[in-house]
Order: sequence, then C-alpha cells, then structure tokens
Amino acid sequence: MSRKLLLTLSLAAAALAFRPVEAQLRVVTSTPDLADIARQVGGTRVVVRSIGQGYQDPHFIEAKPSFVLDLAKADVWAFVGLDLEIGWMPLLLDGARNPKIRPGGAGYVDVSKAIPVIDVPTGNVDRSMGDVHALGNPHYWLDPANGRRIAWLFRDKFTQLDPAGASTYTANAKGFEARLGAAEQAWAADLAKIKGKPVVAWHTSWRYFAEYTGMNIVGFMEPKPGVPPSPSHLAGLIQTVKRTGAKVIVMEPFYDRKTADFVASKTGTKVLVLPPSVGGRKGLDDYVSLMKYDITQLAAAVQ
Amino acid sequence: MRALTLTVAVALLGTQQAAAQRPDSLRADSIARARADSIRIVRELEAMSPRQAQLPRNPRLLPDISAVGDLIGDLSPKGSTQEDGSRFGVRELELALQAAVDPYFRGDLFLGFSDAEGVHIEQAFLTATALPWRLEARLGRFLAPFGKQNTTHRHDLHTVEHSYVVQRFLGEEGLKGTGAYLARVFSPLGFYQELILTAVDRIGEAPEDLTAEEPANEKLSGLGYSARLRNYWDLTEAANLELSASAMTGVREQPLTQGVDLGDQPVNAALARQTTIGLDATFRWRPLEQGLYRSFILQGEFMRQLNRDPESIPPPLGLVDYAGPRRDFSGAYLFARYQISRRTFIGGRYDWVQDPEADGVSLTAGSGILTFYPSEFSKLIASVERRSLKGFGGTTRLLLQATFAIGPHKPHPF
Repeated sequence: MSRKLLLTLSLAAAALAFRPVEAQLRVVTSTPDLADIARQVGGTRVVVRSIGQGYQDPHFIEAKPSFVLDLAKADVWAFVGLDLEIGWMPLLLDGARNPKIRPGGAGYVDVSKAIPVIDVPTGNVDRSMGDVHALGNPHYWLDPANGRRIAWLFRDKFTQLDPAGASTYTANAKGFEARLGAAEQAWAADLAKIKGKPVVAWHTSWRYFAEYTGMNIVGFMEPKPGVPPSPSHLAGLIQTVKRTGAKVIVMEPFYDRKTADFVASKTGTKVLVLPPSVGGRKGLDDYVSLMKYDITQLAAAVQ
Repeated sequence: MRALTLTVAVALLGTQQAAAQRPDSLRADSIARARADSIRIVRELEAMSPRQAQLPRNPRLLPDISAVGDLIGDLSPKGSTQEDGSRFGVRELELALQAAVDPYFRGDLFLGFSDAEGVHIEQAFLTATALPWRLEARLGRFLAPFGKQNTTHRHDLHTVEHSYVVQRFLGEEGLKGTGAYLARVFSPLGFYQELILTAVDRIGEAPEDLTAEEPANEKLSGLGYSARLRNYWDLTEAANLELSASAMTGVREQPLTQGVDLGDQPVNAALARQTTIGLDATFRWRPLEQGLYRSFILQGEFMRQLNRDPESIPPPLGLVDYAGPRRDFSGAYLFARYQISRRTFIGGRYDWVQDPEADGVSLTAGSGILTFYPSEFSKLIASVERRSLKGFGGTTRLLLQATFAIGPHKPHPF
C-alpha cells in the first residue's frame, strides 16, 4: 500500500514538474478570422479556439452547451460585435459564468471598437428594414486595413493580460502586418482588374470587401438584410444586372445557390461562391490566404 | 497635435496622387505603406474627437424592454376547445424588462397579461453573475428546471401548447416556482454537465378552492425541492444529444370528500406529498454549412408522478375521507420536427398520459404541425390534433397560432 502511495505521489510530482512554466492565455473568439489573427499575434503564448466555423453563417450559430465549457475557462472572449453575435452570445456568456469575459471584465473584447464602421443607419431604425444592424455593418474583417487593426487590438489586449509577452506580441503583430503588406503587393494587379466592376452580392457582408477592392455592388440578392429573395425582387434584380452589365453574383457558401443560379441563367452572369471567413474552403486556413483567394477568384470572374 | 495630423494626412494624400503616376509595383508598395500609416492616423483622430460609436449606447441606463404577443385561433370542427370557449384570442402578452442591476446581479422581469389571468408575474428573478466555481444563483420566480419543455417559454415552443404530460403534471402553462435556484456547470467526464437545485415556496400554484388545516409550507419539509442533471454531448459537428434527469418533491393540497369546520376555519383539503421524476432526451441535427435551410430535432420526455396519502386527515375521521389521488401516474411525449426550407418546418407529436384529472384513464393524442417563420421575430403555426380519452371517444382540434416579438433581439433558444 505504501509503495503504491509513494508511486502515486511521485507521478503527481513529475506531472507538476513538467507543466509549462508560462501559462498560456486561453482565447476564445466568435469567428475563425479573429481566431487566426489572435494566433498570429499571440504565437505560442496563447491557445485559441473559435466558436464559429468559416463555412457557417455567423448570425445563426447555435449556443451549444459544449461552447460554454470553452468560455468557462477563457481568459479572453473576442467577438466581432455590432450585434453580429446577439442571437447566441448572451446565452453562452450567461452559461459560462466567467466574470473575466463578461461585459466589464478584462477579457471581454468587442473588436468592433477598433474599427471605423460603415453602413451605420441614420434616422429611425426598425425591423421593417430587415435584420438591420443598428450599430453598423459587422462584416469588417474583409478589409485588410481592419485586419491590421484587429492585430494591434490583440497586441494591446494580450500585453495587458500578459505583460511578460509584450515584446513577443509586438513582434508578431509587426510580422502579421509585413505578411499582409507583401500579399497586398502581390494581389495589387488583381485589385486593378476588379476596381469599378459591377457585381451582385447576396448579403451586405461584402460591403467592406467592396470598399477595399473597388468592386461596385449594383444590387443584393436579399431585398433587405437577412430577408430571403422574393420573386418580385429577383425580377427587379435581373433588370438591374442587365442594365449595369454585372458579370458576377458573389455569395457565401451557406446560402442556397439555386436562387443565384436562377438569376445567372436569366442574365448570363457567373455565380461565384466566395468564403467570407477563414476555413470557409479547404486550405484557406489563415487570414492572408482567405483574402488572396477571394481577390484572385473575383479578379478572374469579372474579366 | 491636430495640425500635425492634418499635415500627415495632406502629405499622405499627396503621396497617393503621385503614386498614381508610378509603375504598378511601386504603386502597390505605396498603397501598403499608406494603409499602414492610416491606422495611426485613425487612432490620432479618435483621440482628438470621440466618434459616435464611442458614446454610450444607453446613457440613461434603461433596461432592455421587449414584448411578445401570443395569438391563438381554434377552428376545431366541434367547437372551440379553449378554456374560455373563444375561437380567436390573445392567449398572452408578455412584457420583459431586463438589465444588469450592478456588477454582481442581473435582473429579469417578465409580466404576463391575459384575458383569463389579468396581469401576473410570470417570472421575476435576480441572477448573481459574479460567483466563483461556475456557480449561478437566482432568487425570485422562475420556470422550474424540471424536464426539457418546461424550461421554455410557452410562446417559444415548437408546438402550440405544452405536451399533455407537462399540462397534466406541471400545469397548462408549465410550472414556475418562487424561491432559490443554484446551478453549477462541470465536466469531470469530459462532456458538459450541469446540476440545478431549487428550493421554492411550493410546488405549483396554490389552489383557490382548497384549504388545508395548515399551510403547505408550514414546515421546511413542505417546501418544494427539485434537482435536475443535464448531460450534453456533441456527437458530430452537426449532431448533438442531451440526456437529462429531473426530480421534484413537495406537499400539495388535495381534496377531501367533504369540508370540515374546525372552529375558526373551514377545511376541505389535506396535505399530501407529491414527487415527480422525469427523463428527457433531445437529439438535434443541423449541418453547419446548410444550417439556414436544414435541421432536425427529436425530443422525448417521460415523467412519473408519485402520490402519497396524507399523513393526517382532519377529524371527524369516518365522515371525512381523502379524495385526492391514491395512485401514481405516468406520461410521455415524443416530438420530431424537420426543416424543409429556410422558413418552413413540419413536425409531429405523440402524447400519452395517465390523466390525473380522469383518475388515470389514458389520454392519447397525435398532432401534425406546420410552422412558418416570416422572420426571426414572428412565427405562424397550424396544428391538427386528434385527442382521445380511453373509453370516452376522441376530439379533433385545429389550432392556429401567431407570435411576434418586438424590442431588442433576444438570443435564440437552444
């Protein structure tokens, strides 16, 4: 019995001895885009998990109890904000019972606070306007300038929570900027091909991407944000496409392609399914790859 | 500082204009640098003049105010099957006020308005949000954490009405309790588990027409107590399973064969312990990529109500006897729903319960349900049900429901 006890104590001591000296920050994000940038800035000093997947509509993520377990242990909860996650985030934060990541906690990071937001409605806002985001368009990560802002925000937050890693976080953020800058140089020619080209988008999620690439969104498949296309709206959209000469319908993988194919069949346009987030297509495992893929695919399609 | 920023901005614009006349590679490089610089400029501008987004969203600290309307139509062929006999009615209007109270508590108030009950407190509870060890505590009135369906607001159900086992064992609108609630999330076995314990003033509402010799809650053993253990697993990325067990016990007023005048008060009820146990299972499937258009849910609950005879019956014994339930009852339902398009769902439910209101005679019902969601904030349901009480024939019911929500966006129930 005493030998067993001694063996148990020895194993426990050994396990304690081999624990990493530096505790990693546990970061949970709402989207894989935020998760990738957090990984790039945090490096080995953070462990990152995303609630949403890149091929999933971020508006309609289910508040599964298994996510609660991740959030219960998190040091940082970083989310897109502007009410993108309002349909599921409150349930998860309530369930997690983790004061660190509740509103007001040091680990509660509303990333939109670092972003110059577009499409902020003016005047009275109500639901007759569709599933409108009263605080502005939340799909801001599809502009590399905002990718940089996210990286620096994470640098600041990680440094606040883990001052010993300050130099690492700064170096990693600069490295991310450098990789993104180099990629931007590489795809500059593609941007020139896209600039001013008329396209149709499914949802307002491509507005920041349009601001960056210069693509001209002449119409949306949705008559109002979040509202499925109606026959009368599609009839009007078909006329718009013919009038403007739009060649491409850009849509996310989680929408029903049949409706876009119908418009394409009436107008001769191409349907281009573009992932709006990291992981939205196999192999697009990081932010720079995502932006590069979307830009090169669009440049080829609008020719 | 402002002058410096403006100078930098003008210089940046000048650089961009000049770049337009250069070869593409140099131009791209310049764009990249300009974008990097622009971040710093934005930060300086932010420091100089606060943007609209930086102003508080709610400077008067008002609570979130929302309302839900629940409208019912009963087009059953042999007349309305509603309690008040109406063909069309406002079943309930619920007004919710919700806000953080302070850094330690959140307050949730739900007021119900209905023709049948007037104004009543549906729920009103204070939730402690800063407890350690993944604990959550509530004080106030809340939906009793017993079974799966009972923890959902009636207007949020996938069906027009609660299942018959819930209606007969817990109440037509489900069961609420007023008292204390303590829950803890844990995962020692690698999956999600939650234990919820409550102690409430009583099990169920006090019956208006029954008076016992002493109040049900005179002794602490007469309060209502419940426990629920939730177990949840992700089977795949798209499928998950919840298996849970619940139990509750309390003392309730049960009728006597006749009233007794005990001097200062008429007594027509005795106190008897009632214990209910339940098991529930929910399987959900929703593919992540096509989750807007396809989903499936299969849910079932089993409950058993255990009734004990009262410990004492008021004198004179012999003339007065116990007329409450002397046997135990069981009941269950099975519900399935499949999403056939972005806004349309079809479903069905089978109910079976040994009806306590009919001395345990089996009540069975089968229903088909068609649901259409114009948006996240409105819901239309048409339901056809065939209900039979063994030995008493059957009834066909045709029910319509419309619900709508106004106010801040609420989380989607899971």
